[in-house]
Amino acid sequence: MDEIIPRFKGAIIVSLVLAFILMILPLREDWLVWRPEWLALTIIHWGLVSPQRSSLLLVWFIGLMVDALYGSILGQHALGYAIVLYMTLRMRPRVIADSFFQQIFIVFIVLGTYLLINLWILGVTGHSPKGWSYWWTVASSIVVWPFYHYFLQIFHLKKKSF
Amino acid sequence: MIKFTILALIAGGLIVMDYRGSSLLPIRTGLKMLAYPLQYAVDVPYKVAHSTKGFFTEHERLSADNRELRALVGVYAARDQKYYSIAQENLRLRKQLDATPAVREKFTLAEILSVSSNPFSKDVVINKGSNDDIFVGQVALSDNNIYGQVKSVTPNSAVVIQLTDAKHAIHVRNSRTGLSALAVGTGKINLLELKHIETSMDVQTGDVFVSSGLGQLYPPDFPVAVVNSVAYNPGDSFMRVTAHSLADFTKTREVLLIWRADYSMEIIHQNTNNKAKANIDSNIAKRTNNKKKAKK
Repeated sequence: MDEIIPRFKGAIIVSLVLAFILMILPLREDWLVWRPEWLALTIIHWGLVSPQRSSLLLVWFIGLMVDALYGSILGQHALGYAIVLYMTLRMRPRVIADSFFQQIFIVFIVLGTYLLINLWILGVTGHSPKGWSYWWTVASSIVVWPFYHYFLQIFHLKKKSF
Repeated sequence: MIKFTILALIAGGLIVMDYRGSSLLPIRTGLKMLAYPLQYAVDVPYKVAHSTKGFFTEHERLSADNRELRALVGVYAARDQKYYSIAQENLRLRKQLDATPAVREKFTLAEILSVSSNPFSKDVVINKGSNDDIFVGQVALSDNNIYGQVKSVTPNSAVVIQLTDAKHAIHVRNSRTGLSALAVGTGKINLLELKHIETSMDVQTGDVFVSSGLGQLYPPDFPVAVVNSVAYNPGDSFMRVTAHSLADFTKTREVLLIWRADYSMEIIHQNTNNKAKANIDSNIAKRTNNKKKAKK
């Protein structure tokens, strides 16, 4: 896949802010555990389609904002999102980034690692979540990924075909 | 690679510092203020929906409500009158006994801006902050039940940690027998666990536990939870008692924050900010004046 140019300057930031809003949108409590990891998905998307323009520093900082708003320990999501982008960038040359199933594979591996590291941090700081509900977000994220990936194309610069 | 390593190391450092309790509060507060407009914007549609729903409530029901509330106000006014004379008597008796004055309380109402988006912590953001003299450790009530306490404060918002958060505990007392216990949050919706209740103790489902007031944080005798199930595994030294919180955390949109006189004294010592106490004093002065006028 060729590097895709964002439609306008700051398109990546705008999409990240949108994902951020999706992350803090109030939901019914029993649906909370099903909330897809919107920010991680957005980061994976940009890491796949536009590796030159994805910035580790930016996602790190957004992670810090998430930590402040979620009340989680400061640095947890920052570290997590940096890992998400780094892993995506490292895995990108090894797969066919256009292929649907290979994308799903990347999402699965990257999100799994991200959530596992989050779980370690939660465990070390002494409030690890109980039960399997912690992992349900992986399922919902994978279900949502194809649609979200398609939707994010509105931030891509369209090539003129004639 | 180098960039990633550096960022990961900084993040790791932050985690360790935050866990050890170093003061990262300024950073946290700054980030929260940066995100506050976004958080506010997210909440606007919900507020609009809420207010339009309220706007279209039928006239009939409103007038019925109004009549009912007017009657209620009459009842409360009478009760308040009685309370006032009792308070006066109490003051007089305390003066005779040389006892410390009873705790005076002042309230303010705050709206809940957003429920925690993090499924594993139970806290909410409210729309009042240190500009309104909110302070860390302040008690929040909802419908006369204890809701939680303020965890952190920014100038125009604050985070309230709910009773059901897994990191939260409150000392409670059985209103039927006087038995005391620790109500610890479970992280689940409206569910608390009562710890350290020995097997020989008398606890039944349906018992109401109220705050004991020990620890000086929560005011005494506010209802906290109703016992839901009592179980005992042979071999355990304590019973497993779960209880439903009386505040419904899924439905509350407003919380009541209270100041007690002893806290306001603390504020004054800390910030040399006399606003809170002045308010309390002026309120009380106004009241006494009104009553004096009424008596005349």
